[in-house]
Amino acid sequence: MKQVGFYGLTALGLVLFPFAIHPIGGYPGLATQILIVGIAAIGFNLLLGYAGLLSYGQAMFYGVGSYVALLTVQRFFPQWPSIWLSLLVAIAFVSVMALIIGLLTVRLYGIYFALLTLAFAQMFYFIVFQWKSLTRGDDGLQVVTNATLQLGFTSVDLTRTFPDFDLGPFGNLHDVHYWYAFAAIITLVVLAFMRALIRSQFGEILAAIRENEERSTFVGFDPLRYKVAAFTIAGMLTGLSGGLKGLYEASTGVDTLSIDMSGSFVIFAVVGGIKTLFGPLVGTGLIMYLQNVVSGNPVFGNGWRLIEGLIFVAVIVFLPGGLLGSFKKKRAHAALANAVRVSPVEGRP
Amino acid sequence: MAIALGLTIVFGMLRLVNFAHGAFYIIGAYVGLVVTEHVGLLAGIIAAPVAVALFAIALDFALLRRFYDKEPTAQILVTFGVAIVVEETLRLIFTGTTRTYVVPAWVQGSLNLGFTQYPTYRIAFGLGVIVLVIAVWLFIQRTDYGLIVRAGIRDRTMVQLLGGNVRQASTVIFALGAALAGLVGAAASPIYSIDPGKGFEFLVPSFVVVVIGGLGSFWGAVLGGLLVGELQSLTTLFLPAASDLVIYVAMALVLLVKPSGLFGESEVIRG
Repeated sequence: MKQVGFYGLTALGLVLFPFAIHPIGGYPGLATQILIVGIAAIGFNLLLGYAGLLSYGQAMFYGVGSYVALLTVQRFFPQWPSIWLSLLVAIAFVSVMALIIGLLTVRLYGIYFALLTLAFAQMFYFIVFQWKSLTRGDDGLQVVTNATLQLGFTSVDLTRTFPDFDLGPFGNLHDVHYWYAFAAIITLVVLAFMRALIRSQFGEILAAIRENEERSTFVGFDPLRYKVAAFTIAGMLTGLSGGLKGLYEASTGVDTLSIDMSGSFVIFAVVGGIKTLFGPLVGTGLIMYLQNVVSGNPVFGNGWRLIEGLIFVAVIVFLPGGLLGSFKKKRAHAALANAVRVSPVEGRP
Repeated sequence: MAIALGLTIVFGMLRLVNFAHGAFYIIGAYVGLVVTEHVGLLAGIIAAPVAVALFAIALDFALLRRFYDKEPTAQILVTFGVAIVVEETLRLIFTGTTRTYVVPAWVQGSLNLGFTQYPTYRIAFGLGVIVLVIAVWLFIQRTDYGLIVRAGIRDRTMVQLLGGNVRQASTVIFALGAALAGLVGAAASPIYSIDPGKGFEFLVPSFVVVVIGGLGSFWGAVLGGLLVGELQSLTTLFLPAASDLVIYVAMALVLLVKPSGLFGESEVIRG
């Protein structure tokens, strides 16, 4: 029953989302972008929130994912202009990359881990930047693609829009591309996958390793294996997100691999709330929405990144659990208080 | 290299991971710019570290103190946030355009060293850095502040029992590290142009330097700086396309093989 409620409410939220942001200055295209980037933030949360690993190089998976997806339709398999194939190649490539980098990096802790992931990301940045024959360097890739989505025997052009239907203050159904529906379905699948993952034994062991690595080793788990798995899954989701970004915008650039991009994923996840399922998505939505609204404002236009920075610092200092995390914590505290009251002796930790 | 020095001192002595270090550099550069335009270059070079030290003390009191005992991840996050706020505030004040110092005449000449011509200012800058390195080393080794902080890392409670004020000494060391970055910011800007993004731009290579030399190792930062500079100029000479790539490859190799760096102690790795 709870299962059904989760899927139902999430699906409902995703359906309403592009229209709900219309009265406050958003638009369906922004909603699509938020979901696509949000998938990467969800993946990053598996690392920082559940495994306690602060990767400062997630942009390498995002950027490489976008390049591989576009190169697949443009260069590798131009004879099969398929979104599935393109995403599959991107995910496969990035997963292998994440597995290798994960094997190398997860032995380190804290600042050393962060700096090593940053070093790898910088390497990929400069490789993409310099490999001009493949990536066109600074110019980035612009791809004229007719890639479609195969569903059974038909294929769908995702750039098409829904039929004309006026929704009053919530805009028009006509403004929504099929792309949004596709991104929303993928987001739903990713959320369901993450939910299952963190509730599984794997998720629990990961949390145990984060809290006390030595103890979990004594109990008989190999922390490295679990961390590599988490790193690879996070990389895979980030690659998926990058691939979607590339295909959706039909372009990508070297700034998708930049330190700033890696930093953005950190900000999105932390502001929304790490260790929560929806936090990273909410953080991504909030920051990208504010960026959109504020930077369009003639007075505050130049100051939006300052606002972003201030929000970020404020959240770290005052709401260490992030927006959703703090809410959850209050509920958890209340539940704990109840439990202790009910059985004062056994309830004690 | 001199930026890296401040970074490594703060990490080595306070165990604080400071992503805002580049912000100190760029504040110094802008303070230097303003004072240079109104008074003169030397005044700018003196004013910058003072201003940045004051800023660092304020920051320490207001924010960073709460994070001294936290895990490194939290420290990275909060200082990263501070770096963004500083960069964007500067962007609002000075706009994003690139600025250059108007340098006085004595700076512009070049000196004949017998084997090559070299700009005077760069020679003065180089000599200044050498003097600075020695001065900072002496400060850490010979004054009570250095002693208290170094002892404080080993056993904070004991030092406090013996009457040492670890808090105060920590703030002094933090301000010193920041002042170094501010000083370099003002002094290096006649050579490099400045814009608000430069702080972060300089931070990343100085992490490379610090990591290669050994996080927290004083002489490691000095030698790491020389090593990275050499490595980069050699690659520029033989394979220019890889000159940016190579320092990160070196950084990754050091982290993989000996995370404590070439000259660091190995006890700090578990952070």
